[in-house]
Amino acid sequence: MTLTSLFRNVSAAAALLAAVAANAADKVVIYNWSEYIPDGVLEEFTEATGIEVEYNTYESNEVMYSKIKIQNAKGYDIVVPSSYYISKMAREGLLAKIDQSKLSNLKHLDTSLLNKPYDKGNQYSIPYTWGSTGIGINTDEIEKSSITSWNDLWDSKWLGSLLLTDDVREVFQMALAIQGHSANTRDPKEIEQAYQLLKTLMPNVLTFNSDAPREPYMAGDVNLGMIWNGEVIMAQEEMPEIDYIYPSEGVILWVDSFAIPANAEHKDAAHQFINFMLRPEIAARTVDYIGYATPNKDALELLDEETRNNPIIFPSQAIISKGEFQEDVGDEATALYNKYWEELKTSM
Amino acid sequence: MKAFIANLNFRRLVITLTISWLSIFVLLPHLMVVGTSFLTADADNFAIWPITLDNYLKVLDDTYAGVFWDSLVLSGITTVIALGIGYPFAFLLSRMTPALRAILLFMMVIPFWTNSLIRIYAIKMLLGKKGLFNLVLVSTGIVDKPVQLLYTDFAVIFGLVYILLPFMVLPLMASFDKLDQSLLEAGKDLGANAFHRFRHIILPLTMPGVIAGCLIVFLPAMGMFYVADLLGGARSLLLGNVIKNQFLVARDWPFGSAFSVFLIVLMGLLLWLYYKANQYVQKQGGMDDQNL
Repeated sequence: MTLTSLFRNVSAAAALLAAVAANAADKVVIYNWSEYIPDGVLEEFTEATGIEVEYNTYESNEVMYSKIKIQNAKGYDIVVPSSYYISKMAREGLLAKIDQSKLSNLKHLDTSLLNKPYDKGNQYSIPYTWGSTGIGINTDEIEKSSITSWNDLWDSKWLGSLLLTDDVREVFQMALAIQGHSANTRDPKEIEQAYQLLKTLMPNVLTFNSDAPREPYMAGDVNLGMIWNGEVIMAQEEMPEIDYIYPSEGVILWVDSFAIPANAEHKDAAHQFINFMLRPEIAARTVDYIGYATPNKDALELLDEETRNNPIIFPSQAIISKGEFQEDVGDEATALYNKYWEELKTSM
Repeated sequence: MKAFIANLNFRRLVITLTISWLSIFVLLPHLMVVGTSFLTADADNFAIWPITLDNYLKVLDDTYAGVFWDSLVLSGITTVIALGIGYPFAFLLSRMTPALRAILLFMMVIPFWTNSLIRIYAIKMLLGKKGLFNLVLVSTGIVDKPVQLLYTDFAVIFGLVYILLPFMVLPLMASFDKLDQSLLEAGKDLGANAFHRFRHIILPLTMPGVIAGCLIVFLPAMGMFYVADLLGGARSLLLGNVIKNQFLVARDWPFGSAFSVFLIVLMGLLLWLYYKANQYVQKQGGMDDQNL
């Protein structure tokens, strides 16, 4: 018996206790990124379906994955992994097949974001939002036109002042893009080169943040660095001087999708929840609230013109084709990325 | 007799309860950690056979020497500052009327009713470029431009001292309580000045409190990863950050476990030193008594 199975048994016992304690009424347990759903939507879902919602949040794919793995894909009914984690989790048997016949609102989705390489035929995942990681800037402090590329972050004048997202793949993708390599490379040589380049960036880094990267910008502690586009949209409500730049080397693109853990206890409720979130009016509100683009084409018409034409939310086709979507790189390369990541963070 | 048996049963119950609690929630998890630390990391299964010592060799790797040193320095500075603030504070408390003392102690403990994470977020607001500290510094003309306080070692030390100060004050206060006032009076009568009374009476007799306070500040300080994450900008500053990253990001549980065991052994070593030092101090105290 490995320790893992011992852990599994212990957590299974804990889950059993929890199941006995909980009342038998219908409920759905959601595990989502922090600040990733509009206020009030969960209450409306309960009102519409009578299903109670238990809501938990996480800050990184890694944390979510570890928890699902250790609980043997039990305990949560909905998770929202990024694309490259969908393929990893599906491969390891952690995700349940989605019954598309239960999703009457699936027809609203834009087919260009379906049937992607990380999940052919959308057997395991239904896209929720998509967005990008680019350069955040406070235009009151720094001239916007002076920054055009990832490479500009390496300038020694930014000593001890930048923010990077606390995400190994995104940070490496930045260096790989500068060196003209694929963000999804598995080549140890290319990964090592990117590591060497990132090492020279570390003196410029003030903080890592994947919790709410807009906050250090809004608090005035950071004026330049990486950020997610939706965070800029949220920040601009209070501080329009915070802006977003699509770096010339190519922006980092990602899709976050709904998925159901393999041993979820409320699979039917989970399907109902996904279907509810696919309603165009809910998807439109999601764009307004969290500032990320929706794959829901019928929601676009419900957005006001300004939002629909906002290049920070919906980048042009040229920017999309120049950017690169994240994909799974396999366990071996992942371990290598993580090893270098550890070295970067401990060498500061 | 009946009462005696009831009492005995109650004692048994309490002891059984305590032992099972400690076994299930302290001993067992720690044994699992120790066990895991000798296994091999695996991407799909967290930990697999075979048994290996590699994880411990990796702890001694150069990569972590830096973190180890930084942890020691940050925790050391934190301890010294906490002692510098805590010692006079505990001394003053011991000189106050019981009522006033109760009020001051109460004020020190009240913040502990609030979750420490929330208090760290509050410190984050205070130290920011637009925070209260910088507001005062700029408006009084001490600096022209807001200075970077947040996400620096200063912020981390500030947070650690703030969180851990009561752990320094409480054992010190216990020591001051035990301090026999008549010894000080006798010293005064025999012509010892304030400094000598402090050096030869107060300091040696409160030494157990000083050592205990330093230990329970120094050891947790090395593990408080959330303080370093929030105030230090999520760089790997403390050993606690390295351990957390192994479990949550790198998913190298055996290595994370080995690191934890390493930290536990280090703590054990320091506690043993404390025990030895305590014995020594008590012996010294006894000799002083004889000399008087």
